[in-house]
Amino acid sequence: MTGRLVVAWTLVGIPLAYGLVETLRKAVGLFTG
Amino acid sequence: MIGATSGYGKTVLPPFLSRDHTIAGPGFSRWLIPPAALSVHLCIGQVYATSVYKTALVEHFDSSLTAIGIVFSIAIVMLGLSAAVCGTWVDRNGPRAAMFTSACFWSVGFLVAAVGIGVGSLWLVYLGYGVIGGIGLGIGYISPVSTLIKWFPDRPGLATGLAIMGFGGGALIASPLSARLLQLYDQSGYVATDPSSVPDGHAVMLLFVTLGLAYFAFMMFGAFTVRVPADGWRPEGWDPHEIEERKLVTTASVSAANAIRTPQFWLLWLVLLCNVTAGIGILEQAAPMIQDFFRGGDGVSTVSATAAAGFVGLLSIANMTGRFVWSTTSDYTGRKPMYLVYLGAGMVLYLLLATTGNSSVALFVLLAAVILSFYGGGFATVPAYLRDLFGTYQVGAIHGRLLTAWSAAGVAGPLIVNGFLDAQGTPGELTASAYRPALLTMVGVLALGFVANLLIRPVDARFHEPQQPREPERSRA
Repeated sequence: MTGRLVVAWTLVGIPLAYGLVETLRKAVGLFTG
Repeated sequence: MIGATSGYGKTVLPPFLSRDHTIAGPGFSRWLIPPAALSVHLCIGQVYATSVYKTALVEHFDSSLTAIGIVFSIAIVMLGLSAAVCGTWVDRNGPRAAMFTSACFWSVGFLVAAVGIGVGSLWLVYLGYGVIGGIGLGIGYISPVSTLIKWFPDRPGLATGLAIMGFGGGALIASPLSARLLQLYDQSGYVATDPSSVPDGHAVMLLFVTLGLAYFAFMMFGAFTVRVPADGWRPEGWDPHEIEERKLVTTASVSAANAIRTPQFWLLWLVLLCNVTAGIGILEQAAPMIQDFFRGGDGVSTVSATAAAGFVGLLSIANMTGRFVWSTTSDYTGRKPMYLVYLGAGMVLYLLLATTGNSSVALFVLLAAVILSFYGGGFATVPAYLRDLFGTYQVGAIHGRLLTAWSAAGVAGPLIVNGFLDAQGTPGELTASAYRPALLTMVGVLALGFVANLLIRPVDARFHEPQQPREPERSRA
């Protein structure tokens, strides 16, 4: 069950982290742009 | 007892989709349910990332922004309608059937729209993404709610907050991913980082095909991971009598048919309508708004287009974070006090935005971010509020009916803001004072919601089911 939990959370966590990082990079423009 | 059975009709489903095949066995971890729910919400959240290809579609169809914007509007209206109409079906047939159906509609919607782009028919895009995809949105949005509440009776706010946070997160993923894919598919020299660059229609068509197939695969993961708890299951160490101690939390059951006959349902409908209308007011206008608020004496904004885009990104994060943080907080504070904060503090924040928002960019950003976090929190907390008032029996179906408030707010919010701004001047020349009437109107809208929330009392016992109803799947087994 632990393995399934890790796989499941990784599957949704990676795209979410990608989106968050990309958006934060964009948001930085608010302070530098 | 009023209308106890509420029209539960039998639906013939393949065995692998039936509710009986999704009952969790011993040792199953309930923490697998949030990622299953997230896998659906992260996909359907793409609906808030349409701005990436909006201009491309305008040029491809030689049309207007309004005509292309209708695609998004149809999808949101269909979301509310399909959630309302299919809610009972979703509760009856379980989360796997609902997620599978949602994936089919959402994916086919993209593919039909891709054909529309390919053959140059905007009507096919309306039908595909708007109507067919919109049905997938509605079913997908409510598909995990009831299941999450049953798995997390001790922390329903946290559970639904996690899932509905995914809807906000979906746009964060789809927006940069779509821009990259468009650059990959485009043959006319489109550069994703150049705001003046526009991809060709062929690239958008291929993007739709890619998204349709990718989302289908990702949603299947959710459909085949999700499980419903076995009869009598409860979290270890949790005493169901704890919830009886809270005044507004019921242990009784109210059917969806009866729920819409209660004043509580319509008061909560009004609460959601007001909270969403106020949030959409800022969300729709975010980029031009921050530029208009900070114009120099020469009429030129001191906030660049890049900074304005950064502001939009920050609001997206605030919206998503609010869904999880505030909804989880409501498990401790109670739902009614939480909405008093969303609406009451929201009024104060809107008032400050209208009167002092142009004094500092930092203050403006802070006020707007907290307002948007309340907007997201309102969406995520409402399923738990429904559970408190009506019990778990048909909470998914009741939630579906309540989401029509979202559709109404989607029309009301932009109408209020755009109506006032149109009367104040020309876009690109507006200043902070032009926004005041719209912002003060939003204070009034929030006040209306605040009063509606104050009036919510426990549901009268005449609406309760006569006894603890059998789970739909058990009654057929």
